[in-house]
Amino acid sequence: MSEHQYQTRSKGTTFGNQDLDFSDDSVATNNSDYDIEGFDEEDDGDYGVSQGTKSKNGAGTRKNGNNGGRKTGKNARVSKVSSTNETLNKLAAKDQNFLHGLQRDAPADFVPDVVSGLFRASDFSYLKLKPDHASRPLWISPGDARVILESFSPLAEQAQDFLVTIAEPISRPSHIHEYKITAYSLYAAVSVGLETDDIIAVLDRLSKVPVADSITNFIKSATVSYGKVKLVIKHNRYFVETSQAEILQMLLKDPVIGALRIDSETSAASAAAVNQSSKVDGTDANGKDAKVDPHDVEAVFSSVVGELQLDDDNEDIDAVHAFEIANESVEIVKKRCQEIDYPVLEEYDFRNDHRNPNLDIDLKPSTQIRPYQEKSLSKMFGNGRARSGIIVLPCGAGKTLVGITAACTIKKSVIVLCTSSVSVMQWRQQFLQWCTLQPENVAVFTSDNKEMFQTESGLVVSTYSMVANTRNRSHDSQKVMDFLTGREWGFIILDEVHVVPAAMFRRVVTTIAAHAKLGLTATLVREDDKISDLNFLIGPKLYEANWMELSQKGHIANVQCAEVWCPMTAEFYQEYLRENARKRMLLYIMNPTKFQACQFLIQYHEKRGDKIIVFSDNVYALQEYALKLGKPFIYGSTPQQERMNILQNFQFNDQINTIFLSKVGDTSIDLPEATCLIQISSHYGSRRQEAQRLGRILRAKRRNDEGFNAFFYSLVSKDTQEMYYSTKRQAFLVDQGYAFKVITHLHGMETLPNLAYSTARERRELLQEVLLKNEEAAGIETGDDADNSVGRGGPGNKKAKSKAVRGEGSLSGLAGGEDMAYLEYSSNKNKDLRDHHPLIRKMYYRNMKK
Amino acid sequence: MPRARKGALVKCDPSIKALIIQIDTNKNDIILEELDDTHLLVDPAKVEFIKSELNRLMAQNIYDPLDEEEES
Repeated sequence: MSEHQYQTRSKGTTFGNQDLDFSDDSVATNNSDYDIEGFDEEDDGDYGVSQGTKSKNGAGTRKNGNNGGRKTGKNARVSKVSSTNETLNKLAAKDQNFLHGLQRDAPADFVPDVVSGLFRASDFSYLKLKPDHASRPLWISPGDARVILESFSPLAEQAQDFLVTIAEPISRPSHIHEYKITAYSLYAAVSVGLETDDIIAVLDRLSKVPVADSITNFIKSATVSYGKVKLVIKHNRYFVETSQAEILQMLLKDPVIGALRIDSETSAASAAAVNQSSKVDGTDANGKDAKVDPHDVEAVFSSVVGELQLDDDNEDIDAVHAFEIANESVEIVKKRCQEIDYPVLEEYDFRNDHRNPNLDIDLKPSTQIRPYQEKSLSKMFGNGRARSGIIVLPCGAGKTLVGITAACTIKKSVIVLCTSSVSVMQWRQQFLQWCTLQPENVAVFTSDNKEMFQTESGLVVSTYSMVANTRNRSHDSQKVMDFLTGREWGFIILDEVHVVPAAMFRRVVTTIAAHAKLGLTATLVREDDKISDLNFLIGPKLYEANWMELSQKGHIANVQCAEVWCPMTAEFYQEYLRENARKRMLLYIMNPTKFQACQFLIQYHEKRGDKIIVFSDNVYALQEYALKLGKPFIYGSTPQQERMNILQNFQFNDQINTIFLSKVGDTSIDLPEATCLIQISSHYGSRRQEAQRLGRILRAKRRNDEGFNAFFYSLVSKDTQEMYYSTKRQAFLVDQGYAFKVITHLHGMETLPNLAYSTARERRELLQEVLLKNEEAAGIETGDDADNSVGRGGPGNKKAKSKAVRGEGSLSGLAGGEDMAYLEYSSNKNKDLRDHHPLIRKMYYRNMKK
Repeated sequence: MPRARKGALVKCDPSIKALIIQIDTNKNDIILEELDDTHLLVDPAKVEFIKSELNRLMAQNIYDPLDEEEES
């Protein structure tokens, strides 16, 4: 029955009395590909009623694009980079297929009860609870593969370990966790060595109800092909490897892949033999390796849910079938394998790589690895080889150390790429601090440091923009680039992977030949849909830490989050309603009540002995606030020397307890002293920024003090657009289990001595000043952030003129304006800002008169 | 000579008052009298209209994650 439905899915439904899963569009775009005889016209009335129609329709068209190669409007937009997106679409389609196919698995004898009608397709009451359901912690929605987990159950911890492996965490507040099984997550599960039957068996044990057929089928269909084909690099030769003879046969018969095989029976046979022996070596070494234990998760698990047949064990017994392909055809083979639904897994057998010289690197004996760091690494080195993938850890939880430990495990030449020259220096320093690497083996490649290591293996730290640069290079940097591209790297670490645009990544990944890739990030979210590109470019998400768990164990600080609602004053609100969107922003940031709240909170926390960082995306507001309150501030154009000065004073001078930072402080400024954070303006609805900013106080030095709490305040002007963005921004942190308290009134704010803007006259003056500011002031500081451009725009003559002025700032920002080379520009910029405004204003008004 | 008119008294936050004034700007047929920062006298027949308009305007500032799920 369900199979039959699966097939008719794309034709529209034939079940007259049930609500439809597809809309007209999907049928219309499909009608040349599929015959539609089964289509039942009478169902028209139900279109749009069934829930989730929209997404299903999307899947319909997407799938169609893949099958027929025709592009619907939606598809045309996404399929610019065809190969990646095709794969992505395919995976998405796989998810979606599953959603359709399984809507109605209810057994034939299921009798809907009176309320069934209300739940429509979401009525799953036919799944009967198991008698001992109370002791089983989870439930899986047969409709969309969401997993709901009772995190208070005694089994929850083990179940979590398992779920993190096979599903993606959606939301993890304190009592109920939500996960979602997707094709990607299953791909990741298979790549760490889980087998289809194990996954299903364990889910069945943990589930309160029998696992629906829909889920079983989905898991089967998604895992059957994944991970069965591996691409292994040995002695710099590429081997396609599989444990099943049929698959090998199939691959060899494939017109594309078969032809690319380096064709001699003997080479294939010997390759197979080599593989077999190396496999055994690999696991032996693995068994001895105390640091990386692939069995620990499974071991914990099998003690709870019974015997599991481990994939690793099976593999060692089975013969490994392999054939060699030429280096240059790797790309084609990979693409073809994606097309025929056997995506290749890439692994690096670093222990048997004798071709690349070893790097003398080891963790210092004093270095302690935390349990969660170990766990994340065990996913990476599951079977003694290095897998490529992404590890997600909160800010301040020691991502760097994970990277360093991975490098120490692989012991080959390493290249580290990060986002700014500040973090380049931090990485270098951390490497020297935590492991035995000698300084002469470390080279730094930035705009003002162009080094190469002289030894045969070593470490290079650089930035994405240096490596991905396509413009003309200086002689020196060209020399270094030739050095980087000319050799083979054992391991590449990609720091803060979420910020780098996919195009830049592709360039980096193709120019630098690295065997294993590790992406590190705290926030695997973007406001655009580029995040899934990473899956393809680097690898699956290997591990994602649970923020709440880490803060309970004291690895990161305990944070109290609060959203402070500041009512708009009447005058400001009237102007707010009259102005356009950009000016509105300036008005709600400069809201006098907000200023007062900020002043109050600063005074309150300074008295408690907290060190406070105030964040403002808007440079104008940043300056106004800081100058009025007499606090130091740092923004994009602050010279390097002054920055260091301010930061050091903040760290060591107990007279300076508050600093104001613009967007430049969002990432990579490491201030363990800070314990309180106030946010007065932010980048629209960016969830990532919110999380990154929170990350500034997660590593607070005092976090292990008894009863210590760090504070995170977000000041929001009431009844404005800011409320919308604020809620949106919090979504990520809320999913991580943080609760935002809403503060509607700060007690004692009115009685604060010398409160700013306490009289109506002062407020009116401020309003006048704000209104006189031109729209430029409302803009967010330009910088090298990828999603800067969102929300900009607006045509017109005046716009074009002001653009020229802003262009100067953004150019220096893009070219690394924070660097020494641009010092002079930066200092002039300060004056320019102030001097130019009346000028621009004049021009603005002249245009208006015309 | 004094003239009597029937009106509904609206008591609200200053920001809501500003919104009502904004709604009123087009036709000027809603507000009878602005009393002070938090009080307005409005045409009783327009009360329902004001309510619905306010709801619509305020909803723009509320983020509902469920909306987004449907869109994606």
